[in-house]
Formats: sequence, structure tokens, C-alpha cells
Amino acid sequence: MRRGWRAHSIALVLALLGMGVFLAIVASLIQEGLPAISWRFLTGWSTSESIGPELLNTLVMVGMTLIVTIPLGLMTAIYQEEYHYNPAKKRVATLSRVRATLLSAPTIVVALVVYRIAVGWWHWPVSVLTGVLTLSVINWPFLATLSAQALRGVPDSYRQASLALGASRLQTTRGVVLPAALGFLVEGWGLAFARLAGESAALIVTAGVNVSRHWSLFGPGETLAVHIWYIRTEGVSLNRGAEAAATGVVLMALIAVVVWAFGRLSRLLGGAQPPSQEVR
Amino acid sequence: MMAPTVRCDQLSVWYGRHPALKSVSLSVQAGEVLALIGPSGCGKSTLLRAINRLLDEVAHIRIAGNVWVDDEDIYQKGVDVTTLRRRVGMVFQTPNPFPFTIFNNVAYGLRLTGKRTQSELRRVVEASLTKAALWDEVRGKLARPALSLSGGQQQRLCIARALAVEPTVLLMDEPTASLDPLSTARIEDLMGQLKGQYTIMMVTHNLRQAARVADRTAFFAKGELVEVGLTRQIFTAPSDRRTEEYLTGRYES
Ligand SMILES: Nc1ncnc2c1ncn2[C@@H]1O[C@H](COP(=O)(O)OP(=O)(O)OP(=O)(O)O)[C@@H](O)[C@H]1O
Ligand SMILES: [Mg+2]
Repeated sequence: MRRGWRAHSIALVLALLGMGVFLAIVASLIQEGLPAISWRFLTGWSTSESIGPELLNTLVMVGMTLIVTIPLGLMTAIYQEEYHYNPAKKRVATLSRVRATLLSAPTIVVALVVYRIAVGWWHWPVSVLTGVLTLSVINWPFLATLSAQALRGVPDSYRQASLALGASRLQTTRGVVLPAALGFLVEGWGLAFARLAGESAALIVTAGVNVSRHWSLFGPGETLAVHIWYIRTEGVSLNRGAEAAATGVVLMALIAVVVWAFGRLSRLLGGAQPPSQEVR
Repeated sequence: MMAPTVRCDQLSVWYGRHPALKSVSLSVQAGEVLALIGPSGCGKSTLLRAINRLLDEVAHIRIAGNVWVDDEDIYQKGVDVTTLRRRVGMVFQTPNPFPFTIFNNVAYGLRLTGKRTQSELRRVVEASLTKAALWDEVRGKLARPALSLSGGQQQRLCIARALAVEPTVLLMDEPTASLDPLSTARIEDLMGQLKGQYTIMMVTHNLRQAARVADRTAFFAKGELVEVGLTRQIFTAPSDRRTEEYLTGRYES
């Protein structure tokens, strides 16, 4: 009893300490950045004093990536989890290996490969589009893994009941498994957004560090995260510390709002854990 | 006498190399309740899952022999598994309603095939819940989540869900194993009402339950059908020594 209590309080103190340090850093960032944030800073189009294009690029690139990779990730997971009893065993194993390898590869390496193929061979420009392609390759294994986890969380007794009523595998997946897993999935999409919005190195290579006067899919697509890196390392403005901090605050706020919204939606949809009636 | 609704002929099943059923031949008459009893692992659930071909979903399964349901040889090529499974309903050991509303649980099977009008759905849902002796308890609460019901109510909901697609055969795998005595009694009453309208095959470890609800009882051991006969006869004068040992609690596998 006593020893348990001791370990418990040590853990608590460490957690509080960690949280305190984190909050202190965030607070100093906010303190430095907040005064620089204005409506013009957020929506203006000229790069030096505003981050309008970067905000737009972040939203468009992450949004497009999610639109592409959510169905792809789900399809991979469904194939692996719902049809794995099929004789196509070897293909499933290969797919798993590709997924695991990509998931553990550093994103900058993925970006270099994508650059080689898209820019080198296909002659795509360093642009929003190439950035989306890179983010998609980075995000697909993440979402496939996450979706597989969500499907694995659905009790098998649901599938059995559905199949026993004459439903096909597809009908079972669509009618029972996906609805039961939706809460978990939606929360995961929020995490994917956060992960992508914070990506910088891979996008420096493939989407570039500046923005064009007229926004286009084929124009350069600097994002908020890349912008922070850029003004900290290459910036010339006297005010660059505050500008970087302000951009950081905006990025953090954006991620916080999206993660919160997806979490909220997830709870509305029945929560991250599909209700399991085995535990009673 | 009517033709049997379910007939197995020399049915054998292997999970990989492990034999689970060995050459089982058994007939079930239309409208009767047949209890399947026997020690754990003797293949009772496997037999039930062979009859609606739920075994097809298991990897490395091998099935030999024949099974007829309503005169259809169900392991023949070209048999529509969907149609078969709609004729053969199944109720599981733990209540497993979907995480949907009560209404949508019962309507699920109906929606799988073709379009139905809302009023048609409502009619069938009410009829099925009534047959499953649950209607009085859930009337006016059909939009509530099914998982908010008690365990016994959930199991009757699962029975209603199975009845909604109008099966002729009901397979029940230890339907009361996870329920309290009162809920168990209600399910047994319900089975008494369903008897005659449906052909019921029920697995149970509760020998008194078998004695109370089954017309005939089949005793299995190690994948073999040891004997089958009128419940009263099996319980009072079994012809096989193993049956007698099992009924008196002295069976050792
Ligand atoms: N999916 C499976 N894979 C491999 N072996 C299995 C599988 N399902 C069942 N078995 C084996 O087949 C045999 C029969 O199992 P079955 O579930 O039919 O027994 P049972 O009579 O229903 O037992 P219980 O009374 O415990 O439910 C057992 O030895 C079991 O270990
Ligand atoms: Mg069993």
C-alpha cells in the first residue's frame, strides 16, 4: 500500500513538473507572439508582415492530404483486417511490411524519394501539389495503422451477428464495423491533422519556402511550420523573433482547435472505444 | 411424419488438422426443440456453425459430408449463403446487439435486402419484438441504444433480430449462459412459445434446462454423436455408458 502510494506521488510530481515546464514555454511563446497577431497579420497577403498565404497553404495541403489518405488508409485497413482470412495471405503480409517500413521511415527521407520521382522524373514543380503528394505518402501508413487499430477494436461478436443474418463481408463492414469504429477513427483523423500541420522538413524540400503572388496548386506552398523555420534561419526582419513566435501561436491554436473539434465529434459518435459488451 | 428440416449426413469438420466433428449423422424434425449437450470442446458450437455455414468464415477449415436444410444440400456448389443464413437464424452465448438503437438492431437484417418502406419496417420490428416477448418492455423506447438494455433484454433483442428475417430454423448457442436465473426463465418461456413455429437447435450446459425445454436431446463427446433420443429417455435410461457418466457428473474426457 505505502510503496504504491510513494510511486504514485513521485509519478504525480514528475507529471506536474513536466506540465509546468511545458506551460511555461507555451506561455513565453504566447507572451512574445500574441502582440504581433492582428487581423492583418492573419489574412494579409504580403509575406513579410503577414501569414495569410501560409495559413491557406497549411489548410489546403493538410485538407487535401486528408481527403486523399482517409479513404486510402481505411481501404488498406479493411483489406487487412476484414478480409485477412482470404487465401491472399502473402499479399496482406507484403502490404503490412510496406506500411510498417514507410511508417518508421524519417519523413525527410520519404520527401527526398518523392522529390526524386515527382520533380526529377515527372517534372512536377516544387509546389503545393508536390507537397500534398509528399504528405500523402507520409500520412497513408499512419492512417492505415490507425484505422486497422480502430477496426481491431470492434468486437468480433458484431461481425458474427451480422454475417449470421446473411450480410456479406462488405455489408458487415459498412453497416456494423465502420459505424462502431467511427468514434475512434475520427479522433485519429484529428491526430493526423496535427501531425501533418507540424511537418516541416519534408515540405521544405517538396513545397518550397516561399509563396507566389497568385495562389495556385502548382505554385510554391510554404506552410506555417515551414515559415517558422524560414524566418528563424533566413529571416532578415528585425522583428523576426516575434513574428516566428506569433506564427507558432497561430499554428498551435489551429492544431488545438482541430484536435478539440475532432475529439468532440468523436465523443458525439460514441467515443474512441467501441462499446464492448463482453465487459460487464 | 414430416420431412426433417435439418439433416446432417456423415458430417466431419477439421480446424486445420484438428478434428472437431467426426462423421455426425443427425436429423431434426420441423418444429421440434433439440438440445445438444456434452462436455466442453466436444464440437457442439461447431455443429451449429456448420448448419448456417458460419464455419466458412474460419481460416483453414475443412468440411466433409452433407447437410440439408429444407431439402437443400447446403454445401453444394452454387448455394446462396445469404439466403441460407436468412433461413437459419442464430443466437449467441453472450448477447451481442449492435451499438445502434433498439429499432435499428431489429431492422438491420431487413435493410440488408432491398428497399422497405418505413411503415413496413415498423410493422416487422413490432411483430418481431412481440414474438421475442420484449415489446411490452421497449414500446415507445425504440430509439434508445440497445446497449442500455439489461443482459436478459439484450438477449431477447437478439432473438427478435434473428426472427425479423423470418427464419425457419433457430440455432441457439448457450443462449442463457451469461444470464441471471430470472432472465433465463424468461428465455425458456419464450422458447416454449416459439416451439412449433421454428425448428430449434439449442446448445446448453444446463442439463435441467435441456430437460425443461427440449423434445429430444443429443449427447456429444469428442466430436462424435454418442446418442440422440427423446429427452426423457436420454435422461432416465441412456443407452450409452458415456451418456450416463456425463449426466451423473462422472464423465472424464
Ligand atoms: N476457430 C477455431 N480454430 C481452431 N480450433 C477450434 C476453433 N473453434 C473450435 N476449435 C476446437 O474445436 C473443438 C470443438 O469446439 P467447439 O467450440 O465446437 O466446442 P463446444 O462443444 O461448443 O465447446 P463449449 O461447450 O466449450 O462451447 C475444440 O477442441 C476447440 O478447441
Ligand atoms: Mg460452444
